[in-house]
Amino acid sequence: MSSPHFPSEVEERILEEVPSSTLPEGDPDKQIAGRSLTQLAWARLKRDHVAMVALVFIILLLLVAMFAPLLANLLNIDQYQPDRAVLDDATGGLPTGWLSSGISWDHPLGVEPGSGRDIAGMLLFGARISLLIAVTSTVLVVILGVAIGAATGYLGGRFDAVVGRTMDFILIFPLLLMLIALSDPLTQRIESWTGLAGNNSRIVYIIFVFVFFTWPYLARIVRGQVLSLREREFVESAVSMGSGSRRIIFKELIPNLWAPVIVYATLALPSFIAAEAALAFLGVGVVPPEVTWGKMLSDSVVYYTSVPTYLFIPGTLLFLVVLAFNLFGDSVRDALDPRAGRV
Amino acid sequence: MGMAKTGLRATALVGVGALLLTACGGSDDGDDGSSTDGGQAGGTLRILSIGSKILSLDPQRNYTGEDLAFASGYLTRTLTQFTYEEGQGGWTLQPDMATDLGTPNEDASQWEFTLRDGVTWQDGSEVTCDQIKYGVSRTFAQTVITGGPTYAISMLDIPTDADGNSTYLGPYEDSKDNNVEAFDEAIGCSEDGKTITFNLNKPVPDFNNAVTLSSFSPVPEEADTGEDYEDMIVSNGPYQIESYKRDQELVLVRNPNWDSASDPARPAYPDEVIVEFGLDSNSIDQRLIASTSDDASAVQMQAMQADVLNQVFTDPQLDGRRWNEASPYTLYIAIDNKQVTNVMHRQALAVCLDRAARRTIAGGDYAGALADGVIKNNFLGYEPTGMWDTLLGAPIPDEGDPEYGMQLIEDSGEPMPTIRYDYAQSSTSDKIAASLVESMKRCDIDVEANPIDAGQYYGIVLDPAKRGALINGGWGADWGNASTVVPELLASFGGWNLSDYSNPEFDKEAQAALENLDLPSQTQQWNELNALAMSEAAVIPTLFENDQRMAGTDVGGAYIWAPYGSWPYAQLSVEE
Repeated sequence: MSSPHFPSEVEERILEEVPSSTLPEGDPDKQIAGRSLTQLAWARLKRDHVAMVALVFIILLLLVAMFAPLLANLLNIDQYQPDRAVLDDATGGLPTGWLSSGISWDHPLGVEPGSGRDIAGMLLFGARISLLIAVTSTVLVVILGVAIGAATGYLGGRFDAVVGRTMDFILIFPLLLMLIALSDPLTQRIESWTGLAGNNSRIVYIIFVFVFFTWPYLARIVRGQVLSLREREFVESAVSMGSGSRRIIFKELIPNLWAPVIVYATLALPSFIAAEAALAFLGVGVVPPEVTWGKMLSDSVVYYTSVPTYLFIPGTLLFLVVLAFNLFGDSVRDALDPRAGRV
Repeated sequence: MGMAKTGLRATALVGVGALLLTACGGSDDGDDGSSTDGGQAGGTLRILSIGSKILSLDPQRNYTGEDLAFASGYLTRTLTQFTYEEGQGGWTLQPDMATDLGTPNEDASQWEFTLRDGVTWQDGSEVTCDQIKYGVSRTFAQTVITGGPTYAISMLDIPTDADGNSTYLGPYEDSKDNNVEAFDEAIGCSEDGKTITFNLNKPVPDFNNAVTLSSFSPVPEEADTGEDYEDMIVSNGPYQIESYKRDQELVLVRNPNWDSASDPARPAYPDEVIVEFGLDSNSIDQRLIASTSDDASAVQMQAMQADVLNQVFTDPQLDGRRWNEASPYTLYIAIDNKQVTNVMHRQALAVCLDRAARRTIAGGDYAGALADGVIKNNFLGYEPTGMWDTLLGAPIPDEGDPEYGMQLIEDSGEPMPTIRYDYAQSSTSDKIAASLVESMKRCDIDVEANPIDAGQYYGIVLDPAKRGALINGGWGADWGNASTVVPELLASFGGWNLSDYSNPEFDKEAQAALENLDLPSQTQQWNELNALAMSEAAVIPTLFENDQRMAGTDVGGAYIWAPYGSWPYAQLSVEE
């Protein structure tokens, strides 16, 4: 779709003539309305059907993940309890029924070959871990990236040089190799430092590595934005009125940065979901009996001929989630500012 | 052989790419590829492997079934070898480099073998007694020559120090303390270099079986490069290494100096043997099902994955080139007896485990039969232990008995200690771990699953300080005597006692059985000791494993060779 043009400089309020076409026919109160950036962006977003479908899907997904235990109870699904009755030892432990999927009223999405665990239940609870990792990583990356990026951009000088080189240093590390290499020793460290055991320490580890190796990307974008913002009048006036650096960064600069940051976040989140899935293929991830979507996908690949639904269902779902976040992120960017940070 | 096994089925990383690369099926060209007597000479045999290399081609370090069979078929001759024959007949010995099966003295503490004429290295020089002696000496250099069998150390008559370690430290050790004289006396060579004599520290009535292991085979001293020797070993078999690149391929070509008259058991049909490394297991299975072009003359080096079994064994077109046979391995879960000290707790763990679920995940009927001890059911002289009928105090169903398990814990009067389950990670073993956690939960036992990288697995769990209370394992006999199973796994002096089971009565009986010269009554003793250890739940036996394999349409002479659960490599041919 075409993106409406909008100046990249962000002002507190912008006056814009409301297009007459959006007003009721023959409205006598045809007027000039003052609308905030948020209202304008939201109005654009609402007109974007793809974005709305994606948003509804995302909200549904988050609700389902949040209320997974409740939902599982309601639907009488247990992700742990194997149903061995639908497996056939004579076929090597494959489920019975249509396409060897084990799909039935009891198991609407079938069962896992071999173990007989309910796929709907695994997806439901797997979504919690996958989304927990992705959402937490995104939030932490945003906090760190914005704070450090704004500080380096505004303060400049030696601070910028030191932090900037540190970011470069972090960026040159190959993330995937580090993840695999550090997985065991760091997980054990986290266990001994925090007292977390088993999966909790592994989840903390994955989040830690995602955040540690990703925040510099956002920090660089933010720094670039701040470099141009800090020369602007409202910042200069704040300086001339004697505001301190902290106040200027947090009260003047950061509120004007959220457009590129929101865009970055909506695109980073699905990339974390996909990265978690990729890690599962490499054997880094949660330990049984917990699963993530990535783990389910990597386990199911070999069954693509014998139990196609086992691969198809989690695969499609993962594809849809990543697609929804990406489409929504694109639309938000278009709505907010077509020129800000193509990330 | 065999030895240790990391998981239920070897697995490789499976990338999404495999899905695209192997999705095209192939037509069957109608040749059923059944073996023919005689076999056709010539052609190139391909061996498809998921490994990055042969685990070790170094004769003194090679200790996995498939790799021993491979090296023995092509490169490394031994004093005696197992017979190339389908079924249990494969366990019968035949002479290889020796003229006969060896001559023991009266109490079998001294064994003498005479070398055949015409056994040569790839450069044409004769294999000598001194080279065998030098090869065996390498086993003693345990810091350099790692991972191999240690029967030479435990059997040869060489004094040990106060800690029970050998006073001879191998050929690379220069210090004065190295007891070279004792080693020289333990292995004697006749003047003409044709007769070798092994002096043992105890009677070993089946020592001529031990020398089927390549750790008792020769190495030319001038070619020895220590731990790097595995990269370019000198062959005395029908083939020699042309090139060997990790993650790529190993190419074997004919050894021009090999004399077939000295080697009746190896027909050596193909002109060339190529091992392709680093393949994805799923793509190997699909390539062999399709069996087109080069893959028609290929076999797989590891067992098939559970997911394709039903497809392969229900497709009539694949008849004659698919095998579903017992492997030499018993799969078990070792219980660390020092962590779970109370025998009733160990019994409760065995009682609570859902063994049927475990078997279904491993491949259902294809996975094998439920195990009742560490001695495998296809083993000569095997007797059921009755573990699941009487030994644990009640009959235990295959799905486990949570009520009885909880009662055992209650009767023990102690709370169950924390339980961690260690296993070598793979997609299948993850599912098995989840099932174990779930089945123990029925007894209110909390188990933490601990996946370990397959390459590091045994390094970690062999260290008592690092392992969990439950350790997944697998073991196969080194030769047709349970003396290579029961004491190795369960005696406190055993080399693979993952469960740290230490029962003085058991140790005493095991020592007595080892020195029993009458093999039938020795077998009986192993059966009794097996049952004794199972009644105390030293380990939880889970599966008497079956393996499935496929060969391409043009491969001749293929079957599953019982002693190694492998292909009879020396017998394979390409029929074009």
